[in-house]
Amino acid sequence: MTTLWRKAIRDFWLERARTALVVLAIALGISAFAAVLSSYAILTRELDQGYLATNPASAVLRVDSIDNDLIKAILQNPEVSDAEPRRTISGQIKAGPVQWRNLMLFVVEDYGNIRVSKLVPEQGAWPPATGEMLIERDAFEVAKANIRDAVTVKTANGIEQPLVISGSVHDVGQAQARMENMVYGYINLATLVQLGEQPRLDQLNILVAQNRFDEDHIRRVAGDVEQLIKSRGHEVRRVEIPQPGKHPHSDLTGILLLAMSSFGLFVLVLSGIIVINLLTAMMASQVRQIGVMKAIGGTRRQVALIYFGQALFLGIAAVIVSIPLGILGSRALCRYMAMFLNFDINSFAVPVWVYLLVAVIGIFAPLIAAAYPVWRGTATPVRVALSDFGLSQANFGASAFDRALARIGGTASLIAFAIRNSFRRRARLLLTLLTLAAGGLFFLSALNVRASLVNTLDRMFAARKSDLSVSLANPYELEKIQKAISNTPGVTRAEGWFTTEASVDDRRFGVVALPPDTQLLDFDIVEGRKLTAQDTDAIVINNALAGRNPNMRVGETVVLRIGADEKAWRIVGLARESFAPSPVGYIPLRGMVNSLQLALDNTDPDSISTLKAELDRNLEAQGVRARRSSTKGENRFAFDQHMLMIYVFLILMSAIVGGVGGLGLMTTMSLNVLERRREMGVMRALGATPRIVWLMIVAEGIVIGVLSWAIAALLAWPVSKVVGDSLVSIMFRSGLDFTFEPLGLLIWMLVSIALSAVASFLPAWRASRVTVREALAYE
Amino acid sequence: MISLNHVSKTYETPAGKFAALKDIDLEIRTGEFVGIVGKSGSGKSTLLNMVAGIDRPSLGSVAVAGTEIHALSENKLAAWRGRNVGFVFQFFQLLPTLTAAENVMLPMDFSKMIPLRERRKRAVDLLNRVGVERQADKLPATLSGGEQQRVAIARALANEPPLVLADEPTGNLDSVTAAAILDLFRDMANRGTTVMIATHEADIARVIDRKIEISDGTLLHS
Repeated sequence: MTTLWRKAIRDFWLERARTALVVLAIALGISAFAAVLSSYAILTRELDQGYLATNPASAVLRVDSIDNDLIKAILQNPEVSDAEPRRTISGQIKAGPVQWRNLMLFVVEDYGNIRVSKLVPEQGAWPPATGEMLIERDAFEVAKANIRDAVTVKTANGIEQPLVISGSVHDVGQAQARMENMVYGYINLATLVQLGEQPRLDQLNILVAQNRFDEDHIRRVAGDVEQLIKSRGHEVRRVEIPQPGKHPHSDLTGILLLAMSSFGLFVLVLSGIIVINLLTAMMASQVRQIGVMKAIGGTRRQVALIYFGQALFLGIAAVIVSIPLGILGSRALCRYMAMFLNFDINSFAVPVWVYLLVAVIGIFAPLIAAAYPVWRGTATPVRVALSDFGLSQANFGASAFDRALARIGGTASLIAFAIRNSFRRRARLLLTLLTLAAGGLFFLSALNVRASLVNTLDRMFAARKSDLSVSLANPYELEKIQKAISNTPGVTRAEGWFTTEASVDDRRFGVVALPPDTQLLDFDIVEGRKLTAQDTDAIVINNALAGRNPNMRVGETVVLRIGADEKAWRIVGLARESFAPSPVGYIPLRGMVNSLQLALDNTDPDSISTLKAELDRNLEAQGVRARRSSTKGENRFAFDQHMLMIYVFLILMSAIVGGVGGLGLMTTMSLNVLERRREMGVMRALGATPRIVWLMIVAEGIVIGVLSWAIAALLAWPVSKVVGDSLVSIMFRSGLDFTFEPLGLLIWMLVSIALSAVASFLPAWRASRVTVREALAYE
Repeated sequence: MISLNHVSKTYETPAGKFAALKDIDLEIRTGEFVGIVGKSGSGKSTLLNMVAGIDRPSLGSVAVAGTEIHALSENKLAAWRGRNVGFVFQFFQLLPTLTAAENVMLPMDFSKMIPLRERRKRAVDLLNRVGVERQADKLPATLSGGEQQRVAIARALANEPPLVLADEPTGNLDSVTAAAILDLFRDMANRGTTVMIATHEADIARVIDRKIEISDGTLLHS
C-alpha cells in the first residue's frame, strides 16, 4: 500500500464520526434501493414460476357445450398437448346472516385429473363431494365464512341452494379475491345440477405442445382448434389468450416495485449530496496539503486519486452495510406483497445481477458525487494553495445579500448571528436545505395524499346518502314497502331501487334502476346530464363502464340485454365514481323494486341494528322478505383498510428521506463547527460561556431547519398533487379529489425544528467543550 | 544548472499591479549553494517559486537542468518537480496524517522512480542522514520543530533531485537548531546537489557559496 492510500484512510479515520454519518446516509439509500430491487427480482420470478407450476392454459375457448368426442377430436391435433373442459358460472353466496357476496363458481369434472390450470389443495376435503364447495384460500375473508360452514348459493336462475364449504384451495392464476371482492368456489358437475343448472361444460382450457411462450404460435393453434370446433357444429363465443408464462399480476407488481425502487435511487441522490458536502469541506480544509503534495511532485491526477479513494471507501463501506439490510428489507417486502397477491414464495434467493447492480450503483454514486469537489479542490495552483491560511477568511459581507442579513436582528443578537452564520457557506447550505426539504416534501405529500384519499372517499360516500341498503328476496310493489317503512321510526327518507344485470356484447355489468329524482345518490356528472323524470330510455353510465366499453359514449345509443329483453338505450350522462368502481349503468325506475335505500336519523351501528330488526318485522307483516343488508359504515371500513397501505408506505418513505436529511444536516453542522473553531475560541476569549456557544450553533441548525420547512411548504401543494394523482391512477385507475392538509405544515415545522436541534446538538456540544487555547491554536 | 533570462513577474491585485520580479537574469552552476537574501516582500520567494515551477514568469524564460520549465503544463511541471526539485518550506508542511517515514516516501510514490520495495528503506536511510531515524514512525504532531524540518529535508531528498530549494527553512527555529539545519544543506551541496535558500537572515553567509541580494524585485549583487 502506497502512502497515498495510507493518507486517504488516515484522513478518514481522523474524521471517523463524520465518515460514519455519511456512510450511514449512503447506506440508507442503497438499502432501500437494494430491498426494492431484490423484491422485484424475487417476486416477478416467483410469481411466474408459481404460475407456470400450475400448467396454465395457453388458451381458453368459450364454447356452447363440450363433450368427450370433441375433446378427442381436438387432441388429434399434434400441436395441442392437452385439452380440459370446465365451466365458469357466476352467482352469489351468503354465509349466515351477512349479505350476499359475488361468487364465481368453477365446475371441474374430475378433480383427480386436473392437468391444465391446476389447483393446489390446501385444507379440508379434496375433491369436493356433491353438495360441497371448496373456496379459494384468499376468498374466505370475502365470503365471511370458514371451512365446514353451511352457506347459501344461487346462480342467475335465483334458486337458493345450501352448500357446505368443505375445504380450501389455492388458485394461483386467479386475481386476488379480496381485491376483486369476489368469492371463488369450486364444485363438481353433480353440485352444479343441484344448483338448478344444466350439467354442461362450456369452457375449454388448451395447452399447446410446443413454443408455449410464443403468443403468435398459441394464437394460430387456438385458431385451428376454433375451426375444428365450429366444423363440428358447435358455437365458439370467445377465445382468450392470456400472456404466456406470465402471472396476471406479474407486470403490475413489477411496475409498482420499479416505481418504488426509483424512490431508493432518489434517496441515494440525496446521500450523494451529503458526500458532496463532506468532500468539499475536506478538500477545503486540505488546500495547503494539496499544495504541498503538488510542490513535491504530485500531479493533479495523483492527488485527486487520494480523495477519489476516500469516496470509493465510502461507497464500499455503505454497500457492505446495505446488502444485508437490503436482503432483510426485501424479505419483509416480499412476504407482505405475497400475502397481498395471494401466492407463496418458495425461494428468497436474490439473483447475482441484483447484487452486482446494487454494488456498482452504491460504489459509483459517491464517486460521481465526489467528482466535482475533488476536481475543483485539486485545481488550486500550488502557489495559491501554499499561501492558504485556512477557511475562516470566507469573505462574508461582500454581497448585498450579506449586508441585508446584517441588518436583520436588532436586539435579538443570537438569532441574528445564527441566521448570518447559516448563510456563510451558501453552496453547502443549499445542498443541506435540498435534502431536508425533500424529507419535508415527502412527509407533507404523505399527509396530503392521505387527506386527499379521505376526501375522495368522503365525497364518494357523501354522494351515497343511503345509510342502510336492504336487498329483497324478490321484486315487490313499492306500496307494500312504503307501509312497512312508515311504521318504522327513525327513517328520514326511503327509496326503492331495482338492481339487476345487463349485458352488451356478452360482457355483463350492473344496472341500477332508481327514481330519476333520487335524493339518495348524488351523481358526479362529468359529461352529459343526470336522469330526469321525463326519461324513459335514458341511461347514465359510470366511468368504469365507459372505460371497459370504449364505444359507450355520451350521445350514443346501445342495445342492452336485461334478462330476456333487448332494448336500445340512449347514454345521456357519464358519472364519475372513485376507487376502482365496478361497471354500472343507471336507468329510471319503472314498477317493482328489489332493494331499499334508507337514510336514517341515527347512524351508529347499534341504532341501525335495532332499526333493522324492526324494519324486518314490519316488512314480514307486509309479506316482504329482506335478503341482505349493508351499511355505509361497513363499506367504508373496507376502503379505509386499503388506503392505510398507501399511507404507511408514504410515511415510511418520508421517514427515510427525513433521516437522510437529518444526517446531512448533522454533517453540515459539524463541518460548520470544525471550520469555525478559531472563531469560537475568539468568542470564548471575549467572554462567551460554553452555553452561549452551544446555543448559537443549535440556533444555526434550527434556522436551517426552518428554512427547509419553508421550501417544503412552498412546494408541497404541486408535488403532493402529482404524487397523489399518479399513485391513485396506477392503483385504482381513478382520480383523486385533492385537498391540502394544513395541519401537516405545523407538524413538519415542529419535526424539522426538532430534527435540526437534534442534528446540531452533538456538534454544538463538542464545540462548546473546546478550550480557548485549543481553539486559537487550531490550524 | 539554472538559467533565468529577463524574468519579470507582475501580480494583479485589488490594489493594482504589483511587480514582484523585474527583469531578472541569473545563472547558477551545478553543485552551487546559493543564498537569496532580502527583506520580507522583496521577491525572494517568487524567485524561488519560478525556479521550482510553482509560479510562472510574466515575461522571460526559466531553464532548469536543460528543461525550459515555463513552457510545461501544470501536470508535467508537477511530475518534473517530483524528479528534479526537492522543496523545503518555512512551516515544514509535513502531511499530518502520515508518519515521518511516510512523508519521506510520498514523493517516491508520486514519481515512481524508486522501486516500491526500496522506498521504505531509502526513507529510513534519509532520516538517518538528517539524524531523525528514531522518529521514523512518529506522526509530525509529536515531533519538535527542528525534527520536523529535518524530516522535511529528508523528504526533499527523496528522489535524489539535482536541485533543492528552501524557503526560509530556519525561519521558525531557534538559532542552535537553525545552525544544524543549515549544516545539513551545506552537506547536501558538498555531495553535488545544487541548493538555493531564500532567507532574510544574515547568518547564512557562514555556509553558502554565493549570496544573491534581492530588493523590490531587483537583484542587487550577484
